[in-house]
Amino acid sequence: MTDVLRMLIAPLAWLAAFSAVYGLQAILCAAPPEGTLAGISMSRVLLGLAFAAALALQGVLLAVLLSRRFGSRGGFVRTVSITGGIVGLVATLWTFFPVLALPLCR
Amino acid sequence: MSALARHRRLQAIWSSPPGWKGLFSTVNHTDVGLMFLVTAFFYFLVAGVLAMLIRAQLATPHSAFAGPEIYNQIFTMHGTIMMFLFAIPAIEGMAIYLLPKMLGTRDLAYPRLGAYGYWCYFFGGAMLLVSLLLGIAPDGGWFMYPPLTGKVYSPGINTDFWLLGITFVEISAISAAVEFTVSILRYRAPGMSLAKMPIFAWYMLVTSLMILTGFPPLILGSILLELERTFGLPFFQAELGGDSLLWQHLFWLFGHPEVYIIFLPAAGLVSTILPVMSSTTLLGYRYVVAAAVALAILSFGLWVHHMFTTGIPHMGLAFFSAASTLVAVPTAVQVFAWIGTLWKGRPQLRLPMLHILGFFATFVIGGLTGVMVAVVPFDWQVHDTAFVTAHLHYVLFGGFVFPLLAALYYWLPLATGRARFFRLGELAFALIFVGFHVTFLAMHFAGLMGQRRRISTYSPEDGWTAINLVSSVGGFILAFGLVMVMIEVVLHFFVRHRAPRNPWRAGTLEWASAMPPPAYNFASLPQVDDREPLRSDPDLPARLARGEGYLAAPNGMIRESLAVDVASGAPEHHVVYPGNTHLPIVLAAVTGLFFLALLLKVLWVAPLAMVGVAVLAWHWVWQLGRREDVGEVTVGRGLSLPTIAEVDRPPGWWGSVFLLVADATLFGSLLFGYAFLWTIAPGWPPPAWIEPSTIVVAIAGVGIALSLLGPSLAVVVNKRGRNPIAALALSLAGSIAIAAALLVLLATAPAATGHAYGATLLVMGGYGILHAIVVALIAAFLLARVRAGYVSPRRRAEIAILPVWGAYLAGIAVVILLAAYLPVALS
Ligand code: HEM
Ligand SMILES: [Cu+2]
Repeated sequence: MTDVLRMLIAPLAWLAAFSAVYGLQAILCAAPPEGTLAGISMSRVLLGLAFAAALALQGVLLAVLLSRRFGSRGGFVRTVSITGGIVGLVATLWTFFPVLALPLCR
Repeated sequence: MSALARHRRLQAIWSSPPGWKGLFSTVNHTDVGLMFLVTAFFYFLVAGVLAMLIRAQLATPHSAFAGPEIYNQIFTMHGTIMMFLFAIPAIEGMAIYLLPKMLGTRDLAYPRLGAYGYWCYFFGGAMLLVSLLLGIAPDGGWFMYPPLTGKVYSPGINTDFWLLGITFVEISAISAAVEFTVSILRYRAPGMSLAKMPIFAWYMLVTSLMILTGFPPLILGSILLELERTFGLPFFQAELGGDSLLWQHLFWLFGHPEVYIIFLPAAGLVSTILPVMSSTTLLGYRYVVAAAVALAILSFGLWVHHMFTTGIPHMGLAFFSAASTLVAVPTAVQVFAWIGTLWKGRPQLRLPMLHILGFFATFVIGGLTGVMVAVVPFDWQVHDTAFVTAHLHYVLFGGFVFPLLAALYYWLPLATGRARFFRLGELAFALIFVGFHVTFLAMHFAGLMGQRRRISTYSPEDGWTAINLVSSVGGFILAFGLVMVMIEVVLHFFVRHRAPRNPWRAGTLEWASAMPPPAYNFASLPQVDDREPLRSDPDLPARLARGEGYLAAPNGMIRESLAVDVASGAPEHHVVYPGNTHLPIVLAAVTGLFFLALLLKVLWVAPLAMVGVAVLAWHWVWQLGRREDVGEVTVGRGLSLPTIAEVDRPPGWWGSVFLLVADATLFGSLLFGYAFLWTIAPGWPPPAWIEPSTIVVAIAGVGIALSLLGPSLAVVVNKRGRNPIAALALSLAGSIAIAAALLVLLATAPAATGHAYGATLLVMGGYGILHAIVVALIAAFLLARVRAGYVSPRRRAEIAILPVWGAYLAGIAVVILLAAYLPVALS
């Protein structure tokens, strides 16, 4: 089962983060927090932080999957799990960047 | 023992009763798979006829063929039958039939469950068919949006047929998915590691996990809408704190993964057949697996692209637009792997190959229009027009029907042992291909010119007359082609023209059995050390028949097989299967009674049916197991393994885990709905909150602790050779305490009909109570089993299941308490 988990974990983490960020955005629009940070609205700061956290998580996962200690040694599982890690990272970059640019609640 | 004597013995053990009587009691995967396929193609025919009615109606302006009431039923039932009664069951049938053969084993993990799934599909489908014949069929479109489908605008029984019938049919999808997941992970030929699995098994594993997590939101949505319609719980009524958008979210949380649930197995068929047709192996096996995994998971982040026009904030739209374009990448990886396979091999234009080429041409176009509608501004223009209908048929027909037809022609010789005699198939393919593209290419333009979907008529001034006529003519050409395919398949059964063994020179194990395959598939089970065992060892079939594999010596009248380690495929334990029984059809009928009672609003029958289901389920599990220890069993080739009742992780444990994955998704969707209503729905906060109660928390706390401790204690105590009855009783008390606490919680909640808040609490509490009852039943069952002598320190498999369920119950109890009380306590 650990091998199956290795292959699924990074994209699954993307999915979890994706749902969380989408949910966070909905909550921030339903109940916008007060204040700004360096002229940026608090909502956007929070979303940006979530983006950064998701990226960091994917980075860690990829490193883990690549590592000798936790990664798979077998050729097949290794290729598939590392490809999965890259998919998770790219998906995070590609689907979350709107938090930096677009209007928040319109 | 000679090969013939072994065949006779195994046949006696494994086959179902002869004649049509066997249909009702068979649990054999070969039979059940074919039953699924035949029924699915029957529904393909029905929905195809409905499609022809649609095209007949739209062929001319101001058509008097069908009025809007009937037309609504026709297109709704066309879409519904195609998706739920044709596509998904056809895949289930394919996989039920093929998987054990490809994996080199004798049956799927839970033979009776497979048969139960079939009968649920059969009865549920029949319900929908009856509604169609009586002219009271569902008419709200295949995605059934409220408020149109709420009680106010759809007072009749039509919508209830859909909600109840489809939920009933979905039981078969969930049970098949559990069965596939466990079978693929654990029931393979010895030596078949993950890296050596046939590619179709990978696709089916991914698809099954998707069904387990994709279907529950729809099941939940259907339950909620039916509750609203029957009992007035206002989940989707904006004036009472509900929100009709919630349905769209739940539906498309299911609906988008659904199209990949249909496409991925078809891609698995292509990845299996294409290399054989090109006399080579699949290029980039590892990357194809990775692409399938990526596609499956990414596809869960796309659902809002069906809701681009509902006024969701731009940021939300952007997330889903980005994810929707991204998903094209793994799809393209697969397409390139197939092109590369063609490139490195020597492709031959045999009939299955023609359909694969048809698939390529059509699916790629569908994928491109898919990227177009993933772009928000474009979607705003074409949403709900014929352009979308055209797109969806390019992906569904192109991505599913063509591969299915390829598979039909590819495996027909295996299933019947006969070769094609008449050459109707080539002509049929030409008609289908041309007919399809004429029909649906035209619909793109009609859509761009503004033709909305689901309209029963239009006027000449709209300027769509010519294009619709062309499309309808194409539709009838297509229908001719499909009818020719059916004629050819029927003729196949009348012309005795024997096919040679392994006619396509394939490498996978299904071709190592006799043609047609006997009920036991393999006289002895192979040791696999290659992804294409027949390629490296063409003599394998003969050696298996001679009994040179595992389990070559039939043992009494027992149906035996092997289970293996998930990753390495090393043999792990000996499996004993149940035999033929009428239980599946009876249980399905009683399950159907439950749905029928809800449909006809004889509500008092529904709880009785539930009790009936529980009694039969008890009987179902009671039939397994033994009263004495068996010890290690010799399985041939010098190996001895523990038998199924004497292991820590029996099939029931694995099945429970994956069933609970689906169950947890359902619960998660409910929590999502709660949060969604809370943040988005207009009528919040509700007029009254629930009163937090310390007594409820205290009783539930005790129940939660006992549900966690009791089951684990039972396992440990039993292993040490002492009597587990006290520990089991603790677990039983735990579930009763949780049920009691939740009952009090519900008694103190605001009225469920007054506001969506109370309604949600009721459903959440009811969900918890239902699970408490299930866990109590499991504990009671184990108590009875211990007393009857079915459990011993060695025969520990049954007890191992309780901790899984106990932990799940404890987990949801905690979440329900938090969800009910925390928001009130905070505000
Ligand atoms: C056999 C050839 C087929 C033809 C000629 C055909 C034709 C049509 C047409 C004309 C419509 C549009 C109805 C309208 O908007 O008024 C439609 C809708 C639809 N079709 Fe098909 N179709 C075919 C096969 C399929 C297949 C194989 C599937 C799925 C596996 C499918 C799934 C659907 C769905 C989901 C809808 C939408 C229904 C709705 O709007 O509620 N169709 N079809
Ligand atoms: Cu979609």
